[in-house]
Amino acid sequence: MKDEMILQVQNLHKSFGDHEVLKDINLDVHKGEVLSIIGASGSGKSTLLRNINLLEQPTGGDIRFHDQSILADDFDVTLYRAKVGMVFQSFNLFNNLDVLQNVMVGQTTVLKRNPAEARSHAMALLESVGMAPYVNAKPDQLSGGQQQRVAIARAEAMDPEVLLFDEPTSALDPEMVDEVLNTMSKLAHTGLTMVIVTHEMQFARDVSDIVCFMNDGVLAESGTPEQIFEHPQEQRTQEFLKRYMSRV
Amino acid sequence: MSHLLKKWWAALAVLGLLGIGLAAAGNTSVQAASKDNGEFKVGMEAGYAPFNWTQSDSSNGAVKIQGSNEYANGYDVQIAKRIAKALGKTPVVVKTDWDGLPPALTSGKIDAIIAGMSPTPERRKTIDFTNTYYVSNMTMVVRKDGKYANATSLKDFKGAKITGQLSTSDYDAISQIKGVIKEPAMNNFPAMRAAIESGTIDGYASEVPEGSSAEAANPNLKMIHFAKGQGFKTNPDESDLAIGVRKGYEYKAKINEVLAGISQKQRTQIMNEAVANQPSTGNTGNWFVSLMKQYGGMLLRGTGMTILLAVVGTLVGFIIGLLVGIIRTIPRPRSMGKRGILRFFDWLLAVYIEVFRGTPMIVQAAVLYYGSAQALHLSIDRTAAALIIVSINTGAYISEIIRGGITSVDDGQFEAANALGMTHFQMMRKVILPQAVRNSLPAVTNEFIVNIKDTSVLSVISVSELFFSGETIAGQNFQFFHTYLVISGIYLIMTFTISRLFRLIEKHMDGPKNYNVMNNQMQVETPKIGAATSRKDA
Ligand SMILES: Nc1ncnc2c1ncn2[C@@H]1O[C@H](COP(=O)(O)OP(=O)(O)OP(=O)(O)O)[C@@H](O)[C@H]1O
Ligand SMILES: [Mg+2]
Repeated sequence: MKDEMILQVQNLHKSFGDHEVLKDINLDVHKGEVLSIIGASGSGKSTLLRNINLLEQPTGGDIRFHDQSILADDFDVTLYRAKVGMVFQSFNLFNNLDVLQNVMVGQTTVLKRNPAEARSHAMALLESVGMAPYVNAKPDQLSGGQQQRVAIARAEAMDPEVLLFDEPTSALDPEMVDEVLNTMSKLAHTGLTMVIVTHEMQFARDVSDIVCFMNDGVLAESGTPEQIFEHPQEQRTQEFLKRYMSRV
Repeated sequence: MSHLLKKWWAALAVLGLLGIGLAAAGNTSVQAASKDNGEFKVGMEAGYAPFNWTQSDSSNGAVKIQGSNEYANGYDVQIAKRIAKALGKTPVVVKTDWDGLPPALTSGKIDAIIAGMSPTPERRKTIDFTNTYYVSNMTMVVRKDGKYANATSLKDFKGAKITGQLSTSDYDAISQIKGVIKEPAMNNFPAMRAAIESGTIDGYASEVPEGSSAEAANPNLKMIHFAKGQGFKTNPDESDLAIGVRKGYEYKAKINEVLAGISQKQRTQIMNEAVANQPSTGNTGNWFVSLMKQYGGMLLRGTGMTILLAVVGTLVGFIIGLLVGIIRTIPRPRSMGKRGILRFFDWLLAVYIEVFRGTPMIVQAAVLYYGSAQALHLSIDRTAAALIIVSINTGAYISEIIRGGITSVDDGQFEAANALGMTHFQMMRKVILPQAVRNSLPAVTNEFIVNIKDTSVLSVISVSELFFSGETIAGQNFQFFHTYLVISGIYLIMTFTISRLFRLIEKHMDGPKNYNVMNNQMQVETPKIGAATSRKDA
C-alpha cells in the first residue's frame, strides 16, 4: 500500500514580481509513488519543482515534508535537500570533477561517508546506469545522454527519499533520449518515490502511478495514466493532449 | 547608482578619519617609538656622495646600514660617528628616501637626519635643527662638451633647461635665473646625471661637494665655478646644512656642543677625505662582468626581496580574495539578526576593496609604516610592513577577480550543489571555487607580475627590493643606463618565469585531454522501452 505521505504541497503560490506563476497548487506525494507532471511550456512545472526543493522561495502556502513545514525558520534546509534529490534538464554535473567524483562528492561532504564506502556505492550506481567505464571522464568529454545518466547516479547516491526530475530528456538529441528514459524506468521499478516533469507522454504513461496536468499555474487535472490519457475530463487537458499527440 | 555613491562616501569617510587621526597625532609631541637601546639612529639617503653613499664593505670607517649587509660612508657618516661617540651610543645608519626622512624622524624610526639637509623655515615647522655642520655653496653641474660648459654667471643660463632635487632649496633657487626653463624636479642625483648625459636637461643645481663628486666620477660632467657675486644668492637657512632632530630632543644641546668642537679646518679635511674615498666607477673590462662582480650580491638580495614581497603578497592576497569571495556570496539567511550581521560584513568588505583599490600603494605603505608609529606609537619592522601592505593591497584586487570568476560559473553548478544539500562553504570549496579559480588564473597571474614590478614603490619605506638596489648601485657607479638595463633584465626573467609557470599550472588544472575507458564494454546496454527503433551508436 502506498499510504505514507512524504510530501504535501498546500495552497502554494509563487510570484516573480507581480507575475503570478503558481496559483494555489495542492499536491500530495506518497511513498513509492511515481508522479508525472505534464503541461504546456511556461505553465509553471519547473517553478513548482524548484519551489519543492527550495531553489525558489514560495510566496504563499506551505510545503510539508513528513508533516513538517520546510518553510519554518528552524527547518534544516540542507538536510532536507540531501533527502530530496533533483535531476536537471541541463544535467549540471560539476565541471571540475570527473564522473566518479561527481557521484562521490555529495556522499563524502554532505553525508560524511568515508571515501571507500562512497566509492563502492558510486561504482555500483554507475554500473547500474551503464557509466562505469567512464569514471575518469570529465563532464565535457561525455555526450548529453551519458551526462544525464551520471547526474541520475549522483542524485541516487544520496539515498534520497524523493527524486525530482525536471525534463531530464529535453536537452538531449533524440537518439539519446531512450538511454535516459530506460535508466529512469529501471529506477521507478525499484520503488523509489519520483516526481517527474516531462514532455515524453509515452514514458509518463508507462511508468507513472499518477499523472498531473498543469495549466497556467494550476494543476488542472490529475489521475491515473489511464484516466488522463484515455479519458481526460477537462477540456484543457483534451486540447493539450490532442495538440501534443498530433505533433509527435 | 545611489548604492555605489554610498560606498564611495564610506570610503572617503574612512580615509578622512585616518587623515584627521594622523594630523592630530602629528601635533602632539611623539616619544620615540623605539626604545633607547644605546643606538644613535641616523637617517640618510646613502646615495648623495660625498655626503653619504652606500658601499659593500666597511673600509674607510663605514657604518653598517640597518637591516642590510651594506655599509654607508661619507661626510655625514663621519659626523654621525663623532656625535654618537660623544653621546656614548653606537651609530646606526637607516637608509631612507629623501622624502621619507622627515616622517621617519617624527615617527621615531630615526633619531636624527644627517643627510645634507638645510634648515628651511618650512621644515622647521615640523622638526628642529641643530647648528650648522657644513656650510655649502650652490653650484651647477652641466655637460662638459655642452653649450653651458664655460658659463660663469647665472645670466649665462638664460634659456637653459635646469632641474634640481625634489623638495630641496637647490630646486627653489633655480628661479633666481632670469629666463631659465625650470624643468620638473627629479628624485635623485643619479637620475639627474643621466638626464644631462641624455640631453633632456642642460644642467642641475646642486651643492659644491656633490658637484665635485660628479665631476670626479663622470668625465662627461663639469661643475661650474661662478664668478664672485654671479652665482646663486643663498640665505643661511638654505645653504647651511644642519642636523634634523625631533622637537624637544634631549640631546640637541649636546650635539651642538660636539659640532662646535669640530673646527672649520677639520670639516674641510673630512670633506676632502670623503671626496677621495667615494666609490669610483670600475671601468675595467666588460661593464657587465665588473657590475656583477661588484654588485652581484646586492642585486641578488634585491631580487630575493622582490620575490619574497611578490610571492607572499600574491599568496596572502589570493587567500584574502577567496575568503572575501566566499563571504560575499553567502545567501541571505532567514533570520533577521544574521541578515544584519551579513549586511554589515558585506559593507565592510566593500569599503576595504574600494579604499585599497582607490589609493596608491605608495601612500598606503607610508600611512601604515610612518602613520602607525606616529599615531599609535607602534614600531613595525619595515619588511613586515611591506609584506602587510602588498598582501592587503593585492587582496583587494584579487577579491574582485575572484568575484568575477564566481559570477562566471554557471548557475546550474550552484543549483546542483544546493540540491545535493551542500552548505554554502562546502559548495564553494568543492564545486564553485575550483572553477572560479581556474577562470581567474590568468588575471591572478597578472596580479603576480604587477606585484613583481610595483613593489618598487615600497622604497618609500626603505625596503631594499630590486629597484631600490638598482637606485643605490646607480648612485655609486654613475652608470645609470647599464645598471637599469641589468635591472630590467632581471625583472623580465622573473616575470617571464612566472607567466610560464602559471601556464603549466593552468594546464595541470585542466587535466588530461583524453580519458581512459575503464574496461572493454565500450557499448552500454540500453534495454528498450516503448521505443520503436534501435538507435545505437555505430
Ligand atoms: N526567475 C524568474 N523570474 C521571473 N519569471 C520567471 C522566473 N522563472 C520562471 N519564470 C516565469 O514563470 C513561468 C513558468 O516558468 P516555468 O519554467 O516554470 O515553466 P515550465 O512549465 O517549466 O515550462 P517549460 O516546459 O518550457 O520548461 C514562465 O512564464 C516564466 O517566464
Ligand atoms: Mg521547465
